[in-house]
Amino acid sequence: MPGFDFTNYNRNAALHAKGVPLPKATSTGTTIVGCIYDKGVVIAADTRATSGPIVADKNCEKLHYIAPKIWCAGAGTAADTEFTTALISSNVELHSLSTGRDPRVITCMTMLKQHLFRYQGHIGAYLVVAGVDPTGTGLYTVHAHGSTDKLPYVTMGSGSLAAMSVFESTWQPDLDRQGAIDICAEAIKAGIFNDLGSGSNVDVCVIEKDQPTQLLRNYMKPNDRPQKERNYRFPRGTTAYLDQRVISKEDMKKYVTIETLSGDDKITTGDSMEVDT
Amino acid sequence: MSNPFDINGGACVAMVGKDCVAIACDLRLGMQSLTISNNFPKIFNYAPSTYLGLTGLATDVNTVSDLFRYKVNMYRLREERDIAPQTLANLVSSSLYEKRFGPYFVSPVIAGINPTTGKPFICGFDSIGCIDFAKDFIVSGTASDQLFGTCEGLWEPDLAPEDLFETISQALLSAVDRDALSGWGAQVYIIEKDKVTQRLLKGRQD
Amino acid sequence: MAINFKDGVILGADSRTTTGAYIANRVTDKLTQVHDTIWCCRSGSAADTQAVADIVSYHLNMYGVTNAEAPTTQVAASLFQELCYENKDALSAGIILAGWDARHGGQVFSIPLGGSLHKQPFAIGGSGSTYIYGYTDAHWREQMTEEEGIDFVRSALQEAIKWDGSSGGVIRLVVLTKAGAVRHLYLPDNGYTGPGVTN
Repeated sequence: MPGFDFTNYNRNAALHAKGVPLPKATSTGTTIVGCIYDKGVVIAADTRATSGPIVADKNCEKLHYIAPKIWCAGAGTAADTEFTTALISSNVELHSLSTGRDPRVITCMTMLKQHLFRYQGHIGAYLVVAGVDPTGTGLYTVHAHGSTDKLPYVTMGSGSLAAMSVFESTWQPDLDRQGAIDICAEAIKAGIFNDLGSGSNVDVCVIEKDQPTQLLRNYMKPNDRPQKERNYRFPRGTTAYLDQRVISKEDMKKYVTIETLSGDDKITTGDSMEVDT
Repeated sequence: MSNPFDINGGACVAMVGKDCVAIACDLRLGMQSLTISNNFPKIFNYAPSTYLGLTGLATDVNTVSDLFRYKVNMYRLREERDIAPQTLANLVSSSLYEKRFGPYFVSPVIAGINPTTGKPFICGFDSIGCIDFAKDFIVSGTASDQLFGTCEGLWEPDLAPEDLFETISQALLSAVDRDALSGWGAQVYIIEKDKVTQRLLKGRQD
Repeated sequence: MAINFKDGVILGADSRTTTGAYIANRVTDKLTQVHDTIWCCRSGSAADTQAVADIVSYHLNMYGVTNAEAPTTQVAASLFQELCYENKDALSAGIILAGWDARHGGQVFSIPLGGSLHKQPFAIGGSGSTYIYGYTDAHWREQMTEEEGIDFVRSALQEAIKWDGSSGGVIRLVVLTKAGAVRHLYLPDNGYTGPGVTN
């Protein structure tokens, strides 16, 4: 469905055959969880992105929008979770527009599994899909190879074992909203502190029937770095430089002519698009 | 054969300051341990206040910088306005992900000021287009491990343009001095709302 | 596993899904409905078997509405076999198909790894099945009653769970007869004795 371009594939495959290692992709060695409660569903994630042993991003967003009442938590190859959810999100919206109905969680889960199965695991997206729809509450896991599971509480990513230990020891049926948020946050914290691939903050998303979806970005910040007591600011003039060129605003527009239109004719302008925000 | 990201060497870093951003790169081009050139800039300009840094395999740095020059020119003709750094970020991201199964061996960095909001913006990418939105700094290249260390130590919020210049320069110079594949001079851009200052740094030539 | 009995067929399975040594799901439903009274037991790759079962389910439902008549178990078996045989290089799917239809009554088919199709009085499959070849062979009888059949399947699965590390969790059964599909559930908490019927 996304038009992948295999132009460099043969070049890279030939290099790989000669022993060149594959490029290191940012992976979200992650803890993600989900849990249903009486009136809705909660998903949560940590915010660490890694590239090998390096922490590439200390506060990334792993909760992805699919539809107003369907959200996804992603683990695995970061680019794959980002683009797969974006693709399915737009297809789900088109589907809901053409059917005139609210999108369903199972529809989204089926589209994801069929897409991932087609790519035979090469798209490394491991997802927790959650939401509410006219049929009720839905919570699924989708693996990169295209298999799915449906459970009342789920965990995924490298921190899934730590997170699952929290659910298996403290989960109980008939949780309320706050109870579900608490157990999810606690499970993510278990991942943050016990799994090296997970870290930083806790993001939470609460989806409930007849209530706007709440994305609680950085719901918990158990690893806040305090302000430095002193600084390493260098006195101006520390760094020697050989040459300097200042490009002023006038220079920037040097080769552009700006023509102001006369106000005689009524110039109709369309509604401004929401861009560059 | 060695990693394509490490053949030619090079480093790039971007930082946010108060109402300004800075982006800097080294100038070395090598083939393994042999230095070919000490004048190979890795920062490219796409709009008055939108800059793109590219490290990695030099052939791909050239290909990708030219590709985006083409794409940004087409954007400007179509839209009749300059590209904002956020828009370029999404363009870079989707262009790299299109080649998910045969990527360019580059690690791009974007720095700029949004022409409509006037807000500073930086971001980085992996080679398949995953965006890293950071509020402080972005590093890339063979000296990225060292840059992470120097930036984490030297960066602080709300630096004025002149102070940001000192911080980014010292962070880059210290990092490349501990990387055999980077260095041989450096280039720094300090981007303000209506002024861009480009400086050529004096660096070790060994 | 699946067996024939006097009035139809019974399918049974444990509920363990593993990724390496980790139990990814301890209450999996491996008994998948592909039509009203045609069900299958999935073993092998979860992704492959789910994909195959989804495709077969789609075709059987289309068959049902276009012909205004429920498909026979043989039709379902042919569809499964076609998919498993034509894509044998890409799939790792071991499927046991069992169903009840008005023309043939209960039938059990086994479609192992290569995509061959075998009609059998009863079939066992999956990693735990090696432990119960002896047990099932010794205790198998034709034309059992429903109660005897359930007892046979449950006891066999209990043995498989006991000896096989990759099998475990709860025991799920489906009884397919003229009356339709009836689900049973047996929990490890009480030595797989109940609660029994769940729908």
